Amino acid sequence: MLEQLLNSILKADFLFAVLRITAPILFATLGAVVAEKAGVVNIGLEGTMMITALFGFLIAYWTQSWILGVLGAVLVGALLGLMMGFFALKLKTDIILAGIAVNMLGAGGTIFLLNMFTGLRGNTGNLVSPNILIPTISIPLINKIPILGEILSGHAILTYLAFLFVWLMWVLLYKTPVGLNIRAVGENADAASSVGVSVLKVKYIAIALSGAMAGFGGAFMSMYYSQGWNSGMVAGRGFIALAAQAMGRGEPVGSMLSSLLFGMAQALRTKVSGLQGVSSYLVAMIPYLVTVIGLVLYSIGQTRKMRKHSIRPVL
Amino acid sequence: MRDRRMAWFGIARGAAAITLALGVATIFIFLSSETPWTALRYLLIGPLVTFRDTGISFNAQYLYQILAAMIPITFTGLAVTVMFSANQFNLAGEGCVLTGGFIGGILGVYLNINSGWHAVVAVLIATLACGLVMLIPALLKVKLGASEMVTSLMLNFILLNLVNHYLNFQFADRSKGATMTKPFQPTAIIPSLVPGNSKLTVGFIAAMAATALVAFFLYRTRWGYAIRMIGINESFALYSGMNVGGTIILSQVIGGMLSGMGGSLEVLGRYQTYLWRDLPGYGWVGITIAILAKNNPAFVPLAAFFIAYLNKGCLLMSTYCDVPVEMIDIIQAAIFLFFAAEQFLSGYRQKLVVKTTQEDLMKLDASLLNGGENHA
Amino acid sequence: MEPSELVVQMKGITKIYPNGIAANRSVDFSVRAGEIHALIGENGAGKSTLMKILFGLELPTEGEILVNGEPATFASPLDAISKGIGMVHQHFMLVPSLTVAENIVLGMAPRKSGLFIDYKEAVRLTMENAEKYNLHVEPDARVADITTGMKQKVEILKALVRGARVLILDEPTAVLTTQETVGLFKELKALREQGFTIIFISHKLNEIKELTDRITIMRGGKSVGVFDTDSISEQEISRHMVGRDVILTVEKDEATPGEVVLQVDDLHYVNEWGKRALDGVTFSVRSGEIVGIAGVEGNGQRELVDILFGLRLPEKGDARVGGKSLIGQPQARIRNLGVSYVPEDRMTFGIAETGSIEENVISDRFHHRRFNRGPLFRMKELHKESDQLILDYAVLCKARSQEVGMLSGGNIQKVVVAREFSSDPILIIADQPTRGIDVGATELIRKRLVDLSRAGAAVLLVSADLNEVMELSDSLIVFYEGKIAGCFDDGLWDDVMMGEYMLGIKRQSDEEIGRASYA
Repeated sequence: MLEQLLNSILKADFLFAVLRITAPILFATLGAVVAEKAGVVNIGLEGTMMITALFGFLIAYWTQSWILGVLGAVLVGALLGLMMGFFALKLKTDIILAGIAVNMLGAGGTIFLLNMFTGLRGNTGNLVSPNILIPTISIPLINKIPILGEILSGHAILTYLAFLFVWLMWVLLYKTPVGLNIRAVGENADAASSVGVSVLKVKYIAIALSGAMAGFGGAFMSMYYSQGWNSGMVAGRGFIALAAQAMGRGEPVGSMLSSLLFGMAQALRTKVSGLQGVSSYLVAMIPYLVTVIGLVLYSIGQTRKMRKHSIRPVL
Repeated sequence: MRDRRMAWFGIARGAAAITLALGVATIFIFLSSETPWTALRYLLIGPLVTFRDTGISFNAQYLYQILAAMIPITFTGLAVTVMFSANQFNLAGEGCVLTGGFIGGILGVYLNINSGWHAVVAVLIATLACGLVMLIPALLKVKLGASEMVTSLMLNFILLNLVNHYLNFQFADRSKGATMTKPFQPTAIIPSLVPGNSKLTVGFIAAMAATALVAFFLYRTRWGYAIRMIGINESFALYSGMNVGGTIILSQVIGGMLSGMGGSLEVLGRYQTYLWRDLPGYGWVGITIAILAKNNPAFVPLAAFFIAYLNKGCLLMSTYCDVPVEMIDIIQAAIFLFFAAEQFLSGYRQKLVVKTTQEDLMKLDASLLNGGENHA
Repeated sequence: MEPSELVVQMKGITKIYPNGIAANRSVDFSVRAGEIHALIGENGAGKSTLMKILFGLELPTEGEILVNGEPATFASPLDAISKGIGMVHQHFMLVPSLTVAENIVLGMAPRKSGLFIDYKEAVRLTMENAEKYNLHVEPDARVADITTGMKQKVEILKALVRGARVLILDEPTAVLTTQETVGLFKELKALREQGFTIIFISHKLNEIKELTDRITIMRGGKSVGVFDTDSISEQEISRHMVGRDVILTVEKDEATPGEVVLQVDDLHYVNEWGKRALDGVTFSVRSGEIVGIAGVEGNGQRELVDILFGLRLPEKGDARVGGKSLIGQPQARIRNLGVSYVPEDRMTFGIAETGSIEENVISDRFHHRRFNRGPLFRMKELHKESDQLILDYAVLCKARSQEVGMLSGGNIQKVVVAREFSSDPILIIADQPTRGIDVGATELIRKRLVDLSRAGAAVLLVSADLNEVMELSDSLIVFYEGKIAGCFDDGLWDDVMMGEYMLGIKRQSDEEIGRASYA
């Protein structure tokens, strides 16, 4: 059995699958990263992905254009972020509760909306057609390289975009004035406001960006990964993103690595569940277990650091 | 004066939030339905009545169904109340409901106790098991400072897969088409309180008893007191000499136990076999209820009734009209957002505070002036 | 620019906070262009409030501000910055993970190609200004990694880069080592040469003598006077600072001290800024006496109290009550030893704001047998206890169920004190027990403290209010820079003498200081 497993993992198509599976998690993780950098916990990523997955798909279906679908999903994601921001920053709803509300909308509200718009229940069924799916591209030259070509070429455009966004997010956070403000606000809001940076504005920007990232993830799910929308499709990816962010120490590159870890765990699950005598459910636990273990290791490190200084334990 | 003004303000604000949420629902009903007025009628008064050509008559079975639906969500509402009271954002109630239901169900099938104690033992073991499960996020929080929110969210999915694994590989009844356990033994089934098929079981009494117990626990015992003080100000609790870590663990364990009890009562009361394949959602509803009840256990049944009523209304709308049942999630989310919004109508609240404070300050000034002269 | 030109004038500034405390009362304050002007006064004298008003952090209730002769209103720090006023806060307003250059350009980052930060330009700007003002910093270092002294330079640069001509420095030397202080003074003098105006808030007389041109002394929310630094002696400054306004006298009998209750031995502690906050402190407190700790805030009192209550761990040394060590013990155990504690920060440690009065007065004893029957509270006993305490300590309220946060400051403190004084403590640590509360509550709390000590409790009173420690204490210990500067047990002390010890003008011999301990 182990041999079987190794055989299937050590193939190019496994690593190809890892990249494909990582992409939506990575989008959401980047969303968690930018929000967290500004000191905002976006627990609504899960619901945002569900809602944007639906709208992305529907818009693509109505316009018969996958590009408009993706843009629509991103826009809806940003609007949901702003809505959370409005409730949390303006009306002072606890940001976690605002996120939970978005998740509720994502769980049931999407089914309602789908029904309202199309009369369908629970999934988009036969609305799907090739021209509304995100196309894959084969990269010239690279696709000629054996193995590497098989792994890297032929992905959906958004898969490449996800990894490109890691770099863009890094540029945004570390090379632009907006990013500087985001980091300053998240770390010491008083310092930022004492030099005239609007803390509120910066937080709105961050959470809208966070929602937009989740929008990419949602569009990827319904317009490529699952080839249609269904009510159980996000399956905790938004929550995993929060953990990936924490494990990646909130940095774009670190978070990409932890996203890849979850992607790998997920891909492993698909591989293993095909094998005889292995419980797909136990394998399905792996990403979540890995998350908890990662978080525990991270926390142990943090606790050690804290103990070094005998500072008054302000709780 | 101030207290009473503020109390009234709180009630008015809650009512406004609910009205607003229902307003949002109405908009969606008008957007989605061909017969919005009928739908609205089903949502608002339908849950308790039967519409006939001759008029409207009270429908007792509907009431029983609403009360029955309150059972699991009262438990999860209480669970969240206890955990939020200690300021613990543990969201694993969902997974505990499932686990409790599963353990209760398995014991209902395989335990051999030839009396009503069968159900009691099954529920209690499920309850304890879920308390133990909650030790995981609680200990990780207290010992390592790992956010209970993230670990509890992950725990939900771990529990879901673990339960599904055992269901599929150990306990599935292969003679059935769908994945489910063998039927529960009759002794394990929670008896009904009323005739008919409403599923209003003894579980309802248990839910009310749990409400009373939790209310007593939070407001009449030393542990509940410590939980609430930690929730208000952890530094204060520490400085007062309370066992902060232990109390935080206790609050989460109790949360797990209540969720597990709710899950097992639901499974053994509503079904003939265990057949959940996915997280049932009661844990999340519990959060809505705790928010509606303002973390006060005494109000939890009220909030649960309200949600169950709306749920029934949504169900009727989807049965007799063309409004999907998931309307309930939109209503819930809207209630949630407005109800939890501290600054909702804050302009008015601010005026109230300023007015009262000014009155107080004038009195204070007067007394200070007198005091100052005495000592100058 | 004429050297005598007034760059900032504040006229008739009054500030009454919403809680009724009048922090400034008709204060006149003015600064000449190109001078270093000291603002000095005891804690609570109103210096900080005055400077917050000047920097736009607080709005004055009355009064006007003139900058270069023109009226100005400051609704936010941005307004003040645009008028050329910059402030270096005592707690630095820096973002630790950003580099020095990034901190300096935060909110005004130079751009390249429209979108990106021109980091090179930020570094260049930093370097240029660092050269110009002789404030040497490492532009590429992360603020988290640099020394406190350099952080301060970054703060000063931040203000200068934003065009500040007037710099407010709030106790800048409090966090610096001696060498860093020497460096800072050189830099400040150089800035003065270049025509900058500096307002320097400090408690340290030697620094003020060395650095400043003029001095404004504040006391009790008012300005006591403006002096040329050269024409006033340290003794005179001290006398102006600590002169008495309202004297609350408390009747008290002669103390009859008994056994040693608290023994503190050779405590050493380095605080989170790497400063030696406690440097070998040894003293005892006996039953039946009140030992007062006087001193300007920030000389180690805070750290001492935290260590005694298990909130910090010392590098070295011990503190024992009845022979049992308090070091690093859980608070429950410390309380079980008979220690009670009136915390300085009552809103954080003293109360649960949204809890009821009852819930707040029982927080240290709710688990006692007399309040519990089996698993349940004996509500009647709890009600009785809290009603009694409300009565005993004259807490002005409608009912025991009233939210504590809704009470006035004085009544909140009465709630804290009611709890801490009523648990039959053998040692009471009272940290600033009457700060910011009304006269009635102050009197009641002081009287109770004396009563308890005469009934046999040991009392350690820490207070920045000199009147309070002098009035209440049976013996007095003065803290200066983490050490005991003097100890007195003859009751023959006055404010002038105390001021000299508190401000480091005088220090007793080691032998005399040794009398603080009876071990």
